[in-house]
Amino acid sequence: MDFTDIDFDQLFGSGGDTNPIMMLIWIIPIFIFVLYGQRIQLAVTSGEIKKGIKKLEDYKTKSRTELINYIKKNMNPVDDPTKKIDRFLDYFTIMPVDMDPNGIVGKVRHIVRAREDYTREHVKSLSPQTSELELTKIQTLLEIATTLQMIYKVINHMFLTAKKQNNYPLILPLQMILPFILEEAEAMHKAIPAFKMGQPIGDGIGPMVVGKMMLNSNKESVAFQTVLGETQYEQRKLLLLKAEGPGSTVGRPGDAMETILSKNKPDIIIMVDAALKMEGEDSATIAQGFGAAIGGIGTERFQIEDIATKNNIPIFAIVIKQSVKEAITLMTKDIADKADNVRSQIYEMIQDNTKPGQTVLLIGVGNTMGVPQ
Amino acid sequence: MIFSKEKIVLEYTIEKCKKCNLERKRKFHEGDILFSETSKCDSCDGLTMIEKIFGEYVEK
Repeated sequence: MDFTDIDFDQLFGSGGDTNPIMMLIWIIPIFIFVLYGQRIQLAVTSGEIKKGIKKLEDYKTKSRTELINYIKKNMNPVDDPTKKIDRFLDYFTIMPVDMDPNGIVGKVRHIVRAREDYTREHVKSLSPQTSELELTKIQTLLEIATTLQMIYKVINHMFLTAKKQNNYPLILPLQMILPFILEEAEAMHKAIPAFKMGQPIGDGIGPMVVGKMMLNSNKESVAFQTVLGETQYEQRKLLLLKAEGPGSTVGRPGDAMETILSKNKPDIIIMVDAALKMEGEDSATIAQGFGAAIGGIGTERFQIEDIATKNNIPIFAIVIKQSVKEAITLMTKDIADKADNVRSQIYEMIQDNTKPGQTVLLIGVGNTMGVPQ
Repeated sequence: MIFSKEKIVLEYTIEKCKKCNLERKRKFHEGDILFSETSKCDSCDGLTMIEKIFGEYVEK
């Protein structure tokens, strides 16, 4: 057959006359995309989401294995803890009904604390001679593994439902949130070594700043896993509050404030905490502001705001900006280097907003892993 | 990302002499705790305290 004399103009219909082959080449894909467009998009998107879910599954499995190995190595339990740990990993929390929001903060606090207390006691039962420091580490590792398991289950459920129904719109929200979920899951997975080694994490910058100021002061326990120190600065009384380090805990600053207020009424409150930076913002930048700088589920913040409002005490805040990953993994050099700067800003704030003879309550908010006082 | 290299974290401890304020950077050892007294200063007879523990990210 001779292919040298093919007339391309005629074949592709550009010669002016309508070519039936060309018509088919254009029309068939249009029909395919009209009828099966969503299914094609579903297949393409599914591939990407599957890769993400595989990563989530890896994080879930590795965190569980690392937790079990850590418990076996550091707690020396009599029996194999695997079964018990698997049961802990499946625990869920049912939040209280919010149709009537009156009194909901107390209910949330009760449920969250009951869960914490229950987990602590049951982890301790694996090996009762385990130190408090090890217990707090294991409790945090368990929290990480539980969260990663829950994330995997929810995302996998959403994906399988969309696939089962062949429903493209159902997979769209999943495609949109997956990068953010993966970022958080990766951060949690990378946080495991720091907690195992007992190293300070980015979120610990508040306790680190206040902890150093507490070093030579008299300290007392004022609430569960929360310590108070007292010192003087330029004729002002400084009450220094932080979670009890070097264990992995955030303490109970709300309860601690209630105890403090029953004896001493501070003239101002200063809270130092890590805060999430926005995209484009530099890491480890320091910002000052007003209001209770404390994260979490909101119960501690509610309690602190409530006490401050009833007693008419202004709250000042100093935050150190960082990403999610920086907040829960080993503290970066940039953040650690800012500790002295934060301390000098605190002293400046005290001088600007109080008079000699007044009392300042300084709270170092955050997880105090690897940060004693 | 296809072309981004994996990063590893190197853990360091900064010790600071309480007397002469000399700082020394070394690799983190398991058991290092912030604000704990560790060793004698290299340049004077003072004691050093762990001032910072941090990680530095480097590309593999």
